[in-house]
Amino acid sequence: MSRDHDQYEENVGAYLLGALTELEAEVFERHVATCATCRHDFEHMRVASEALPRAVEPVIPPDSLKKSLMEIVNAEAREREKVARSSSWRDRLRMPQLRPAFALGMVAVLAVGVAIGVGVAGIGGGSSSQKTVAAVVDHASAPMGSADLVVNSDRAKGAVIKLEGMPQPGPNRIYEVWIHRGGQFVPAGALFGVNHGGSGSAAIPADLNGVDTVAITREQQGGTQQPTETPVMTFKLA
Amino acid sequence: MHVVQGGDPRAFEVLYDRHGGAAFSLAYRMVGKRAVAEDIVQESFLSIWRSKVRYERERGSVRTWVLGIVHHRTIDALRRNLVHDRRRASAEGIEERQEAPELTDVEAARREEAREVRAALQALPGEQSRVIELAYYGGFTHTQIAEMLDMPVGTVKGRMRLGLEKMRRELTGEVA
Repeated sequence: MSRDHDQYEENVGAYLLGALTELEAEVFERHVATCATCRHDFEHMRVASEALPRAVEPVIPPDSLKKSLMEIVNAEAREREKVARSSSWRDRLRMPQLRPAFALGMVAVLAVGVAIGVGVAGIGGGSSSQKTVAAVVDHASAPMGSADLVVNSDRAKGAVIKLEGMPQPGPNRIYEVWIHRGGQFVPAGALFGVNHGGSGSAAIPADLNGVDTVAITREQQGGTQQPTETPVMTFKLA
Repeated sequence: MHVVQGGDPRAFEVLYDRHGGAAFSLAYRMVGKRAVAEDIVQESFLSIWRSKVRYERERGSVRTWVLGIVHHRTIDALRRNLVHDRRRASAEGIEERQEAPELTDVEAARREEAREVRAALQALPGEQSRVIELAYYGGFTHTQIAEMLDMPVGTVKGRMRLGLEKMRRELTGEVA
C-alpha cells in the first residue's frame, strides 16, 4: 500500500460529504476507479452519507416552482417532438452506420475530417493561451457523452479532458487516453473513471507536439499498451 | 427513470411530485434562502430532464440519486458565492419551516426515517457531528473547516471518516 493510497483513503469521508474541492474530488474519483480498497470503503460508508439529506426537516416548496418547471419541460418536449418529426425523413435515407474496428475508425475520422462536433475555439475571454477541442463521440458507445480537450498553446505542457454524460466503463474496466503520433497510437499516460453523474476528467501529461489525434477507449483496469476497442471518442488536433 | 429522460413530461411531473419536496428541503437547509433554494431545485430537475446526468439503478434509489444531484448543485452555488449573506437555517430553528399538511403513510415513514438519521447524528461525539454538519449541510471544504475550528486538516478528515463509520453502524444496527 503506497503513501499515496493512505492519503486517498483518508479522503473517503470528505469526498462523501462533498468536502473536497472539485479538483481533489476528481483526483479521488480516478483513484477509486482503480483501487479496490478505497472502493470498498466508499461503498461501505456511503450508507451514512446518503442518509444525511433525509434528516432534514421538511419544507414545502412553493407551487410556483413546479409551475415554472413544468412550463419549461412542456415547452422543451413540444420542441423535441417538432424536431423529431422534421428529421424523420432524413433518418429513413440515412446509410446504416457500421461500427468499425479501431484502425478503420481512426482512418475514417482522419480522412473524412468528421466535421460533426469538432470545434476549435479560444477560451478565457479570447485568450490564446489555451484552445478547446470538442470530441467526436461514438454515440453507440456513449449516447449522451460529450467532452472537451483543453490544450495549452505550448503543447509540450499536455492537456486536460473534461467529460460529461459518460456511461460507466464497466466492471473492472477503465477509460484510457491515447495519442496518435508518427502513425501509431501510444498510451498518453492517463487512465480515468467517471462519477455517478457520468462526469470525469483526465490530465494528459504527455508532450502533444506532433500529435494529430487524441482518443479514448475502454480498457481493462490498469490500462493496456495498445487500444483493444473502437474509440469512445476522439479529438482532432491537427 | 428512462421514461423521464426519454422526454415524457408526465413521468417527469411524477418524479418532481415524489422528490421535489425533499429536494427543496435539502437545498433550503443548506442555503437558508427560499429563492436560492428554488433556483437550485429548478436547475437540478432540469439537468435530469435534459439527461445531463444519468440514473444508474445499481447506485441506489431514485430519491438518493436526486438528492445527491441537489446536494452537489447546492455546494456549487455556495462555493461560487451565489448565496451572498447566506443565512443557513440552523438545526435549532428554521424560521420559514412549514409542516406537511397531511401525514400519509409514506410521509409518516419518511419522518420516522428522518428521526432515526438525526438520532444517529446526535449520538456521535460532538467533534465528529460538527465536522459532518459543516461539510454536508454547510458546504464547507475540509480546509475551510480546519481553519474555522483551528485544527489540522488531517484531524478534520479523520473525524469525518470516523463519524460516518459510526453513523453507518448505528443506521444498519451493526455491532462495533
